[in-house]
Amino acid sequence: MNILEINQLYKRFGDHEVLKGLDMVVPEHSIFGFIGKNGAGKTTTIKIILGLLKADSGSITVCGEKVSYGETKTNRYIGFLPDIPDFYGYMNPLEYLNLCGEITGLSKDIIKAKSEELLELVGLKNDKKKKIRGFSRGMKQRLGIAQALLNEPKLLICDEPTSALDPIGRKEILDILLAAKGKTTIIFSTHILADVERICDYVGVLHDGKLALSGTLSEIRGIYRHDEYMLEFNNETDAAIFEMLEELKQPSIQIERRRNTVKVRLADPNLDGSFLLNILAQKHLVPLKFNVLEPSLESLFIEVVK
Amino acid sequence: MNRYLAFFKKEIIEYIRTYKLLIMLIVFAIFGITNPLIAKLLPEIMKNLATDGFVITLPDPTAYDAWTQFFKNATQMGFIVTLILFSGVLSSEYSKGTLINLLTKGLSRTTVILTKYFSMVLVWTICIILCFILTYGYTVYLFPNDITYNLLFSVFCLWMFGLLLLAILMFSATLTKSSYGCLLITGIIVVFFMIIDIIPSIHKYNPISLVTDNMGLIMNSIKVSSLYLANLISVLLSIIFIILSIVVFRKKQL
Repeated sequence: MNILEINQLYKRFGDHEVLKGLDMVVPEHSIFGFIGKNGAGKTTTIKIILGLLKADSGSITVCGEKVSYGETKTNRYIGFLPDIPDFYGYMNPLEYLNLCGEITGLSKDIIKAKSEELLELVGLKNDKKKKIRGFSRGMKQRLGIAQALLNEPKLLICDEPTSALDPIGRKEILDILLAAKGKTTIIFSTHILADVERICDYVGVLHDGKLALSGTLSEIRGIYRHDEYMLEFNNETDAAIFEMLEELKQPSIQIERRRNTVKVRLADPNLDGSFLLNILAQKHLVPLKFNVLEPSLESLFIEVVK
Repeated sequence: MNRYLAFFKKEIIEYIRTYKLLIMLIVFAIFGITNPLIAKLLPEIMKNLATDGFVITLPDPTAYDAWTQFFKNATQMGFIVTLILFSGVLSSEYSKGTLINLLTKGLSRTTVILTKYFSMVLVWTICIILCFILTYGYTVYLFPNDITYNLLFSVFCLWMFGLLLLAILMFSATLTKSSYGCLLITGIIVVFFMIIDIIPSIHKYNPISLVTDNMGLIMNSIKVSSLYLANLISVLLSIIFIILSIVVFRKKQL
């Protein structure tokens, strides 16, 4: 089942058309990396899902229910972590979670048990009686996750949760999200690709108002994989011999040597890794390493966004 | 109902912990105590200022002077302090994004407006009662023989105008994103009431008469019944402004 479906979503601000027919599907129990440049429309999309902004046209369903702007009933399925979360500074985390729980309509006992559990999960157990006013950005971010998970949402939407944090804070947030994965589906908007590679299993790249690319990480890599190989030899002589082989002097083969490593790119669809392995066997050359190069998410992103 | 209660609790905690309630109570308590004192002491002060051959004669102070102070302070400084303190009723939540979080949890926008309005009304009511009791006590003590008329009704009119003012403030807050914008719009609407008061035939319908006719009521030179319409219109206008606030706020893109 798909937790979230977006069909032909359009939104413009004045002359600036942000979303131009966005289609997006998020399957259940996945971590969906929602990638895009700054200003690509990630936050706008999220706000429309939450019913905080009105779409010009298009439809969104959350858990099979249509999202309506203004009074948004579908929000009961959703937990939301804003990009720069801020909470009432004069409350402490326990009081804030209590307020959230009461507004969500949870019973007193459940609120109490869940609050303790979540504050433990996000590592704010020792700060639960401190005023939020004095919290650092990372602490607010963690409290943000706790409040978003309070109603056991089916869909957790995080808007750039790691963008403003230091490396340790980022790692902590990612770990918390991974821990929450079993219970909920997560949409995770970001422009930090390393984070996506670490925790996401589905990826969607928002570019020019549309989803330019979407699928599982390995699917996407499969589509964009060029036949590129990296061979590392014992010494530079072997590498040089390999580089100079007659068999590899074809227009469809690009070769590049750097000391004892050789990078080969095969543009001919009839050639693949076995061709290289055959040559190696014929010439009795044994490389130290034979690597199929995976395209990095970064190179994909740049290629798509170009 | 639980959501109303939860959000109402949050509002009250906010007033207490951000010292808004304390400031309001102190301001209105000071007014309450000083109203009769100033009335009593002003002639004494003037007497001391007088030098040879320069005589300032003031009539003996009465309870009327104390109540004049009361209505003057409440309608000027009192309203100004109230409006300034409450001008951030929505803008402080917009600018920090604190409200968005609760709205995405299923808090309805209607609840937000109604709860915020009634919390402000509660604070205003407590403050005006406190101020009234203090002024009343001191006035009876300092001027035991003076008789006043229609006192409670006169204060009720003042209170009623406060409700209208807060409804206007609430409406203004939904129109703009800043607290200054909110104050400006409220000011413009109040000035509009003052300007149309120039036309005598409108006076008995105009809510502004609720804060201009108070002394007349106390001295019994203005009839109570002449203010019924203005009260009714204030109630209706307050309801209209609150409904408009809800309509605007529900359409607002956050």
